[in-house]
This record gives sequence, C-alpha cells and structure tokens, in this order.
Amino acid sequence: MTSSSAPSRKALSKIACNRLQKELVEWQVNPPSGFKHKVTDNLQRWVIEVNGAPGTLYANETYQLQVDFPEHYPMEAPQVIFLPPAPLHPHIYSNGHICLDILYDSWSPAMTVSSVCISILSMLSSSPVKQRPADNDRYVKNCKNGRSPKETRWWFHDDKV
Amino acid sequence: MAEEEVVIEVDAVQAVYGDDCLVLQSYPPHIQIHIKPRTAEISSQQFVEAVIGIRAGPQYPEEAPDINIAESKGLDEQRKNHLITGIQDKACELSSCLMLVALCEEAVEMLSSMNHPEGNCPLCLYPLVEEDAGRDSLPFMKLMSCFHCFHCECIIRWWNWLQSEKEVIPTNLSGPSVRGSRSMLNQRSVHAAAEESTGSCPVCRKVFHAKDIEHVLDLVGAHSQLSSGDAKLNEDENLTELDSEKFRREKFEAILKLQQENSGLIEPRKNEVLLPGMFLPPPIPETTTVSVNETTDPQNTESNVRAGANSSGSSNRPRTSEHRNSGMRKHRGRNPRKQVKQWTKKETGNAD
Ligand SMILES: [Zn+2]
Ligand SMILES: [Zn+2]
Repeated sequence: MTSSSAPSRKALSKIACNRLQKELVEWQVNPPSGFKHKVTDNLQRWVIEVNGAPGTLYANETYQLQVDFPEHYPMEAPQVIFLPPAPLHPHIYSNGHICLDILYDSWSPAMTVSSVCISILSMLSSSPVKQRPADNDRYVKNCKNGRSPKETRWWFHDDKV
Repeated sequence: MAEEEVVIEVDAVQAVYGDDCLVLQSYPPHIQIHIKPRTAEISSQQFVEAVIGIRAGPQYPEEAPDINIAESKGLDEQRKNHLITGIQDKACELSSCLMLVALCEEAVEMLSSMNHPEGNCPLCLYPLVEEDAGRDSLPFMKLMSCFHCFHCECIIRWWNWLQSEKEVIPTNLSGPSVRGSRSMLNQRSVHAAAEESTGSCPVCRKVFHAKDIEHVLDLVGAHSQLSSGDAKLNEDENLTELDSEKFRREKFEAILKLQQENSGLIEPRKNEVLLPGMFLPPPIPETTTVSVNETTDPQNTESNVRAGANSSGSSNRPRTSEHRNSGMRKHRGRNPRKQVKQWTKKETGNAD
C-alpha cells in the first residue's frame, strides 16, 4: 500500500522544481553519509536508501525512504515514509509512517531532503530498543484507506525516543 | 610606557565610542567594542555586526593585545577569522604605539567591507549575492531580529504561506486538512492581515512581525504576482535603483510623519536610526486581529517559555513522540518552539 499511499498530487510548482533541482545537485556533490539516492527521472518522488549507522541497533541494515514533494514545496513539508519493511522503532509505524515533528508541524522551508535524512538517521540511531509504537495496530488500521501521515493529528512532546 | 598614559588612552576610547564601548578593566586595558559597518546608515541595510574584545597585558603596547569576537551577527566562521586576523595584523604593525582607537577603527573598516550577506538564500538555495558580477542578483533583505538573510521574494512567499495557513486552519479543525487546495491570499488581504501577524524565521524560528518585512512587501508586490507565488522576479535592471529610491522616500515620509505627530519641525533623534517602513504606526485591523488570536494555541505558552531559554541556534532540532488517537487535540502551533524573546528595541521608540 505504501507506494499508493501518496494522495494524487498536483504537479510541482516552478519554484518547487527549481528548489528540488538545486537540492539534487547539492546531494550529488555532497550526499549525507549513510544515504544513497536511487536515481529516477521523477523529481517529485525520491527513493532513498538508508544504512543503519555502525554501532547502533540498526547497523548493517538497509531501509528505503520514499519522499514525495507537494506542489508548494518547500513551503509545505514533503511526505516522508519508510517503504516496507519499515525499521522496528518506537516512532515508526509498521506502515512506514514516521512520527517526527519536523515532518509535520515543525517543518521549516529552510530544511532540505538532506537535513531531513540526517534527522531520521539520528532518530534511528538513538533508539535503545527495537519495537513498534504502543498504538501501532490501531493507528495502522486507521490508515487503511491509504491516508498520508501528513493528515494524521500527531501529538509531539519532548522525550528521549 | 607609563600606566597613566594607557589609562588616558582607555578614557579616550570610551569618549569616542560612548555606549558602544565597555571597559572591563582599565589597566591593563580590557575593553569590548560593539561595532557596526560604517556604511549601514539604514538598519535594514546592515547585515553584520560584532562585539570585539581587546585585552592587553602589562607589556602593552610593546606587546600586542589579544583580539577576540565576543558576539557577532551575520558573520560565518571564515569571515570572523578574517576579521580577527586583520585586527591582529594591524596590532603588530602599530607595535609599541598606543593603538586601541586605531584597532577599533580598523575593525569598523573591515566590517564595513563585509556588509553583505554571505552564502545562499535558505529558501531557494541560490546565492544571495551573485559572485559573478555580470549576473543580476535578486533583491535580498534581512530579518531585523536575527540577521538571517533571504531574497525578498522568498521571504514574502513564506510570509504569505504562513498567513494563508492561519486562515485555513479554523475550517480545518473539523476534519482532515486538505493541503494544497488552499488559495494564496491576494496582496490586499496580505497587507490587512499582516499588521498584527507574526511569522517565524525559517532558519532560527525567531518570531518576526509584519513591519519587519513591510518595506520589502511593497517592493516585491510591485514586481510579481503574490497570488500565484510562482512568478519569478523579472530581471529588471532598474530594481536596485527603485530599491534605494524607495528607501529614501520612505525615510523621508517617516520623518514627515514624525513631524506631523510632534506638530512642528523636528530632527531625527540622535541615537536612533530611521528604519524604512517601521515608524509608521499600522492601522488597526480589528477583524483580523481576532481571527489571529483565535488560532493562537494556548498550548504554546508552555513551550514558548522553554524555548526562550534555549539558544537560538539549536531550535531546529527535531522531536519525536507517540501518535495519540485522533480524538486528541492536535498541537496546532505552526512553530511550537516560538521564541518569546523578540526584537522590540526600535519600535518602542516612537510610541512613548
Ligand atoms: Zn531565495
Ligand atoms: Zn533567523
């Protein structure tokens, strides 16, 4: 369901296109370490390979992030989810949705795909335990119709993973 | 050299720099000077500033004093190093002469030559100042509170986006938000809504107000369609001329306004720099004020206080949490860690 979970979206605005092309070039010159962008001709959807950081619970594991860009990126946050199988993590649901504030309420247009990737990797790396969020089943059931995580009412608070 | 001579020199520095000079110790001299570029008559055109520490030992002036930068705005590491090295070179050159004033002047001189933003616009990722002189740069501006710089066009687009989000939220509360379908506000309503609204710096999340970008709002509005948000600014060669003409005119109008308020001819207050578009008290749009207040989430108060204690540099750190069931109220604050501390110095000047 993950690849169909992105709602039908409008094409990127010209500004979004310019910005993404710029990000892509920057990524190619200076990719964040631990990530590999799988090249496609689709600027609006990036698939990125994540390697678990050495010395963490996810060392030697590889996951895939799917990043979908809205029409008004970067004013609007991209939709970022893990493609199955999603890593076992207290803030990652089995449908790949990630509970991380910068992807929703705390998004800022000064953030980039690269900075988002780094945040996700650091979220992975700091996890002391491999398990699903407590409300995983209920949440995933609620998302059955392919709802975007951006439509979820997330609740954020300061905590250590 | 005799101690009295050095002490007299410190007095002289203090006389020259007044409040911008802080004497931590008069012998051996340890002073801090708050310097701004000489070229920055208009605060909105000032992109850098620094507090330079000069600390001399008992061997001064035979031995050059230590130079450090206690605080700075708008300067990256490279330019800070350049500034320190430049002042140190000057100190070596002047060895065994009393040099404090000369060092301060050198610092001001160097800072003046650096009075432009560095690097890329954080929003479009294109350079703020084109290295290649042949290419036209888009006009840029800085936020008065934090000195973060953006293309005018880019920050206005962010501002419009934030304001249009605030408009959309009340209708969204009952159901899932339909993102992407909102229409951008037209420019008139932007102006109206702007008066009491706030935005947050995309880089450090410091709150800024409509008046902080008012002067560029007009500039950009004249050249592009705010409503589409897509029009790239034309390569208009007259733009920079228009720009400075606009500043000149607005400065004049601000003075005129002041004169009217004080019913007579006055001069701008001595220690006050006129900011374009900042002195004119905004008309009060009551309706928008109400709707903005409604969307202010009381939940924010707590996090505001917490954020105020943080240093601004770390405020873009991500947080994670559990998802709560959908009956729970969403934390609606667009920027949960808004800083309470705002830049208010200049705006209070006129009100009193
Ligand atoms: Zn820009
Ligand atoms: Zn800032």
